[in-house]
Amino acid sequence: MPITTTRRRLLAGSVAALALPSFARAQSAVKPRLTAISQWSAGSDGAAITALGKKFEEKGGVWQHSPVPGFTTEMMNKLRAQIIAGDPPACSQLKGPEIAAWSKIAPTVDLDAIVAAAGYEKVVAPDLAKLHKPGGKWIALPLQIYSTNMLFLSKRAMDKAKTDKIPVTWADFNDLAEKMKSGGITYPIANGGTRPDDGQKFEASLAGISPAAYRAAIMNLDKKALEGPEIKAAFVQVRRISEWMDPNVGAQPYATNLKRFIDGEMGMMIQGGWAQGVLRNAGFKFDDFIIVPGPSDNGKPVFLLNADAFIFWQRKEPDLQAGQTLMAQLVMDPAIQTMYSQITGSIPVRTDVDLSGEGWSDGQRRTAAALKDAVANNQAVLSLAHNMAQENGLTAAMIDVLTEYVKNKTIKPEQAVTRLAEAVEGAR
Amino acid sequence: MTDIASPATGRPALSGVVGRLPEYLMIWVPLLLSAAHLISFSLWTIWISFTPSTLVPVTGWVGMRNYTAVLASRNWQIAFDNLLLFGSAFVLLSLVTGLMLAILLDQRIRGENVLRSIFLYPLAVSFVVTGTVWSWLLNPGIGIQKLVHDLGWTSFRFDWLVDRDMAIWTIVIAAIWQSSGFAMALFLAGLRSVDADIIKAAQIDGAGPVRTYWRVILPTLWPITITVIVVQLQFAISAFDLVRALTNGGPGIATQLPALVVYDLMFQRSQLGRGAAAAVLMLLILLAVLLPYAAWRYVQRRRATHA
Repeated sequence: MPITTTRRRLLAGSVAALALPSFARAQSAVKPRLTAISQWSAGSDGAAITALGKKFEEKGGVWQHSPVPGFTTEMMNKLRAQIIAGDPPACSQLKGPEIAAWSKIAPTVDLDAIVAAAGYEKVVAPDLAKLHKPGGKWIALPLQIYSTNMLFLSKRAMDKAKTDKIPVTWADFNDLAEKMKSGGITYPIANGGTRPDDGQKFEASLAGISPAAYRAAIMNLDKKALEGPEIKAAFVQVRRISEWMDPNVGAQPYATNLKRFIDGEMGMMIQGGWAQGVLRNAGFKFDDFIIVPGPSDNGKPVFLLNADAFIFWQRKEPDLQAGQTLMAQLVMDPAIQTMYSQITGSIPVRTDVDLSGEGWSDGQRRTAAALKDAVANNQAVLSLAHNMAQENGLTAAMIDVLTEYVKNKTIKPEQAVTRLAEAVEGAR
Repeated sequence: MTDIASPATGRPALSGVVGRLPEYLMIWVPLLLSAAHLISFSLWTIWISFTPSTLVPVTGWVGMRNYTAVLASRNWQIAFDNLLLFGSAFVLLSLVTGLMLAILLDQRIRGENVLRSIFLYPLAVSFVVTGTVWSWLLNPGIGIQKLVHDLGWTSFRFDWLVDRDMAIWTIVIAAIWQSSGFAMALFLAGLRSVDADIIKAAQIDGAGPVRTYWRVILPTLWPITITVIVVQLQFAISAFDLVRALTNGGPGIATQLPALVVYDLMFQRSQLGRGAAAAVLMLLILLAVLLPYAAWRYVQRRRATHA
């Protein structure tokens, strides 16, 4: 019965036509919602993401953030479980080469249109942009940048060492440590003993000795560079650093020593800019410490890049999709990046944010200037200790060697070079 | 054996079977469920250990590659050496401590119940708590060493926790503190079940207390000793939470243990295939302890029924 069918189709069509505008209206009126997971639960990191959530809610969104405290890998375990269960969060923290690795196991959101609309690509360092568009498309957005090799100097310790000369090269650094020691400071170095902390001591040493060797050996895993003289020189420097540290630190985090550092009981710390946020959050004043770029033997700043980012996972729900759009816009917004970095002590990803105003510290201004310099001189490299240079498996295998070397003073630098090369070979 | 159906009545009546239905359900359903659970996940892990899985499980076949990679890694070699040292030292010392405590408590002393509770109490504390507390006590900067320094003995040194050669012994100390009470409880039960007539006979023959213990009582304890050894060994092989809280494998990687390596590979390094291979290796170590024990039990039972 052709007529009936046609009539029925017509009817169905008209119903659809009537329903369509209201459906579209419902979709645009849908309240944006965002399910997000990150490792940021407490301290300045927790405060920053809570502030971001407030902004999200001010724009009419529903903010559902579930923090997983601990290292990034702890957060990844939850992410893995959710992806395997077919229920990924709309957005999660993830960074470095892990973005490419994880994007292979679950579909991600193509952010190209939103990024283009915001003109974001022009204001992000190219090396950094590459990490966030593994298949040529933006699937993740960097939020803030740290340098993992900033040098923190305690004002009181400098007074004890009777000097105000800021170290530029590793030789200057070693000089200052000796001066502090003769000034009565038993432990000139205030670093902690966690795995990333031990990794930082090495990456700061190597990149400061030769950024080119760092790029070849650590980022490109060039076999020859891995056994090169710069690696050995870096291990020699790490040994000196380890001898100026409190041996009782064990595996404690660097934050344990912050009070002794400020009091001038300890003198220097090679740490990421996040330590500024932690120091400020603990109530210490900007007058108590100085932040400068880490030692660099060629005198030009070396920047060990560590950038936090959000990756966006595909979801079918219209409210989550609207939430992803809103979140992406917020993350790229200069005002939001300013707010975020001022809380955590990082610097904004956008290179066009002016840091001269109120709310920025000299340390942050120096960090931003160092990034600009380092990018211009090709001395901005990706941090190993904070999972920016290699995927987790390789990073962990290399850090095994580094942390053992820091803790075991009987290992000779030559042995450490061989072990590092072997660890890379074994993990590949 | 407390078999209710007596062999004299022959075949049990149907009503008997129905009456015992709840009993069967209570025993067999949970037993089958947990066996299926255990076996299926073990098989799954064995399968994963032969695949190239990294972030998530994938199919594929890489043969023994995961095993050779794990066995060649420094982490595993250190973990295995540590397991041999930790396993033997911990089992032996907790055995001796438990036995000594049991013998001392067995002297019909006053306040035995209170003392027994005190010695058994650490068993009620989770390993994470034990590890954390001992990590504070043993930290030279804040713990025992500092206390002794503050008391005036400033040359005193007790920094095993941060000494990579001695750190494994801190785990032995904490583990003994935690579980020698368990050995004590079993030994005490064993001591109390020794036939009083035998002891009296020994005394009449003129044996002193030391001799009585050494020649008469202790030989009767050896089945309990083997049980304690096996229980403690399987704890030692699977030790994870205590080490994670106490040293987290450090300083450096000096106190790695197999369970830590498995966790590390699976959940920190996202190498599921290698982690599964390490887990299967752990299972093999466990079987090396449990199979001889099972065989021994079997022989014992056969001997008992034949006698």
